[in-house]
Amino acid sequence: MKTITLLAVLLFVAPAAYGQEPDLGTEAQREAGRVLYMEKCAQCHGPEGAGDGVAADVFTPAPRDFTTGIFKFRSTASGELPTDADLKRSIREGMPYTGMPPWPKLSDAQVQNLVYHIKTFNDDFSGSYGVPDPITIPKAPSFSEEAAQRGRAVFEANQCTDCHGNLGRGDGKSAPTLEDQWGYHIRPADLTKRWTYRNGQTREDIYRTFTTGLDGSPMPSYELPEDESWALVDYVWSLSRDEANYGTVIVASPAEGALDVGQGAALFETARPTYFPIVGQVIEPGRAFQPGVNGVEVKAIYNEDEIAFLLRWHDMRAETSGSNSPTMAAPRFGETAPTDTTGAQAAGEAAAANPASPYSDAVAIQIPSQPPAGTEVPYFLFGDEKHAVDLWFADLAKGEAEFFVGHGSENLEPGEETLDFFSNYDEGEWTVVFKRARAKEAGLTFEEEAFMPIAFSIWDGFNEERGNRRGLTAWYYVYMEPMNKPSAALPMAKWAFITLVLELGLVFAIRRRARKEEAVA
Amino acid sequence: MNWLVLLLVIAALAGLWVVDRKVRRLNMLAWLAAWFAALYVFFSYGIEPPLPTSIVFMYLGIVVIILTAYLSATSAYLAEARDAVVAFTTEKRYAIPLVIVLVLLPLLVAANVYLNITQEPAAPISGRTIHPPPPAQIQFKGKTINLATAANPYRVLEERDPAAFAEHVENGRRVYFQNCAFCHGDNMEGDGHFAHGFDPIPANFSDPQTIGILQESYIFWRVAKGGPGLPHESTPWSSAMPAWEHFLTEEEIWDVTLFLYAFTGHRPRALHAAEDSALE
Ligand code: HEC
Ligand code: HEC
Ligand code: HEC
Repeated sequence: MKTITLLAVLLFVAPAAYGQEPDLGTEAQREAGRVLYMEKCAQCHGPEGAGDGVAADVFTPAPRDFTTGIFKFRSTASGELPTDADLKRSIREGMPYTGMPPWPKLSDAQVQNLVYHIKTFNDDFSGSYGVPDPITIPKAPSFSEEAAQRGRAVFEANQCTDCHGNLGRGDGKSAPTLEDQWGYHIRPADLTKRWTYRNGQTREDIYRTFTTGLDGSPMPSYELPEDESWALVDYVWSLSRDEANYGTVIVASPAEGALDVGQGAALFETARPTYFPIVGQVIEPGRAFQPGVNGVEVKAIYNEDEIAFLLRWHDMRAETSGSNSPTMAAPRFGETAPTDTTGAQAAGEAAAANPASPYSDAVAIQIPSQPPAGTEVPYFLFGDEKHAVDLWFADLAKGEAEFFVGHGSENLEPGEETLDFFSNYDEGEWTVVFKRARAKEAGLTFEEEAFMPIAFSIWDGFNEERGNRRGLTAWYYVYMEPMNKPSAALPMAKWAFITLVLELGLVFAIRRRARKEEAVA
Repeated sequence: MNWLVLLLVIAALAGLWVVDRKVRRLNMLAWLAAWFAALYVFFSYGIEPPLPTSIVFMYLGIVVIILTAYLSATSAYLAEARDAVVAFTTEKRYAIPLVIVLVLLPLLVAANVYLNITQEPAAPISGRTIHPPPPAQIQFKGKTINLATAANPYRVLEERDPAAFAEHVENGRRVYFQNCAFCHGDNMEGDGHFAHGFDPIPANFSDPQTIGILQESYIFWRVAKGGPGLPHESTPWSSAMPAWEHFLTEEEIWDVTLFLYAFTGHRPRALHAAEDSALE
């Protein structure tokens, strides 16, 4: 009897125990992984996996240090190692809006070999921790408005608002103080922009994100009853848009009466929004490798005499006690200004930058000073020697607009121009309005039905952006929709009528001839 | 060329031919309409990159002329077509279809006018010369470089001193990832995490039609002078490609050029030519 039990135990448990051995691949697979890793990954993640490659300094968040065994993107409980499938997903899908690119072209075997190599950087992978248990994600019920409403209560009860803010814009009260495991300041995700989620963008992915947490970051893990979890997922889902839908043209709509900038966003109720990507100024010294702002929404309206622009963007915290200017010197790559709170990462955000930044938030609209000839526009970094740009600039600590003429970023001169201005910060969002006369004696006039080149710059003071260190857009266009759009009805009726007359004429002519021929026959 | 569209068009015409032969003879006019539709579909959707609409209309104009000429070539064809039209407009049994056509056509015209008037005007697009001819020589930090004869001074090390060569490539890797990867991408596919902010988009070096068909001196010129240094007649004037002469040394630019080729596996053009002649 005993031997039978023993046999049974051996038969059933042993294979299970055997299955518990971590899968570390063969010597050849690890070697193939190493070769590929040295070619494609080491420049960021470092030759020994310590996150210290030659390019590590220019990416925020920093490339992962694999030696610590701390991984953000897992399907396993907080504190555990990721599964092979998790690592493969991270490699295949990448992390949008960070330096970590997706690698769709590598073969499955290549990705598996990379995983085997990554697992050599930390001993835990080869021990008993090397066989982590993934959580099971139950089948998602379909999205419901009602669940999303219940989810709001879960969101508040679990203090997601502390970090992610009341409306999920990443502006919670503790947001400025958060640090990751490596001592850098880290921003809570802006939950309204689903296209920037790094741990996946489906509802199941969101479920996994807060159930397992993002280790190494302050994003905690939550054990919630299943129905609460899905309600929370639906709430997060309802806060967010799935696509950025970046545009290229702002349509300025005509308005009746005076344009009162004091009304703020309300003035622009009828205008259509266009959303533009903001990217880092990575060309001239003082580069911004990860600007604090990654998109801006713009609207425009005009009347007989004036044109007004509305700019809105999400910002973790309003910086309004320092100062800012497009001419302020920003430290070169590798150097640190004495005022900068961060030394370790010239590119990065200030560690524990809870005190107000010496640099305030700021914004600028850029247009060519002279109407462009053809498609020729000034250099997008504040113009060039031959082609000047007008800069409508606002240091948001001052609450008034300034004017500069730019012949390149080294060559910005203050100028005279009347600009009306309004700004407001609320719930993690800046709202800024600029207004100018449409016509100018010398220089660019905003004429009806014309396309005008336009570009934007945004400085995030918290991120110590000033001068050349800033987020910007390349050139886009503003189109002046005509004041009196002729109705389509008249031309439609006209052409329909002409067609009908032609048709009838043709039919009658044919019939007459046919009858004549018949008569002849 | 979009082969799928081409195949579909040919299949549709072949289908009509079978119907014509086996089921029921088709009228001449039906054939002409079928050919016109087939060519319209082919010109509009079958050609990659797509032809501008104005060119499509020009081609279709030519098609109409050819089809008319074909129709009037023999009196039998002409009579067949004419009889069909006369029958459609005069015979009682076609009365209802005739009224439908008479009403539908003006409506179609009105809809087209509506679409034309309410359409958003498109922003001006700047045409693009992909590889504009380089100037004969450039000024680099006060030094004149003749682009026709300049060779990468470190390329010879590839055979002469592989260890030293590898060092230059490694330096190029550093230069690339600290300066270019944001735009041209970690895998050199033109998809860096800031690429979505620029139009034209950053060049995709993994595509054999970029650096693979260029000489190293050409790459030197493009890296040194960037978008601002493009010859005036070749747009894009608004290329975001930086002029690296202000921020990198001559050696760094040659090194990053080596790295572009090493990482993608392409060979620069001058070497192609040399290898080809060596083979002969
Ligand atoms: C240009 C720099 C860069 C390159 C090249 C790069 N990575 Fe990354 N990688 C990053 C950054 C930055 C992160 C961190 C993203 C974050 O924290 O949100 C990261 C994160 C990761 C993670 C996620 C770890 C976790 O916490 O779950 C894995 C796995 C990874 N990289 C593997 C690779 C592999 C394998 C390659 C080569 C095929 C590679 N990376 C190439 C920059 C890079
Ligand atoms: C202590 C602060 C904190 C709290 C509380 C918190 N988060 Fe987060 N959360 C973060 C941080 C920081 C990140 C960004 C991590 C990163 O960038 O790697 C984040 C990221 C996320 C993401 C995006 C992950 C991705 O795929 O990019 C989601 C979704 C999220 N949190 C949901 C929640 C929900 C839901 C709650 C409440 C149940 C919550 N968070 C509570 C700090 C917090
Ligand atoms: C701000 C974004 C940006 C950065 C940074 C950048 N480039 Fe470019 N690059 C572009 C764009 C956009 C183009 C395509 C338009 C053009 O040809 O000018 C381009 C084109 C090129 C071309 C021409 C390719 C061809 O087929 O003609 C070369 C070579 C090149 N880049 C090399 C580099 C190198 C090397 C670096 C780093 C030292 C670099 N680029 C950094 C944006 C960038």
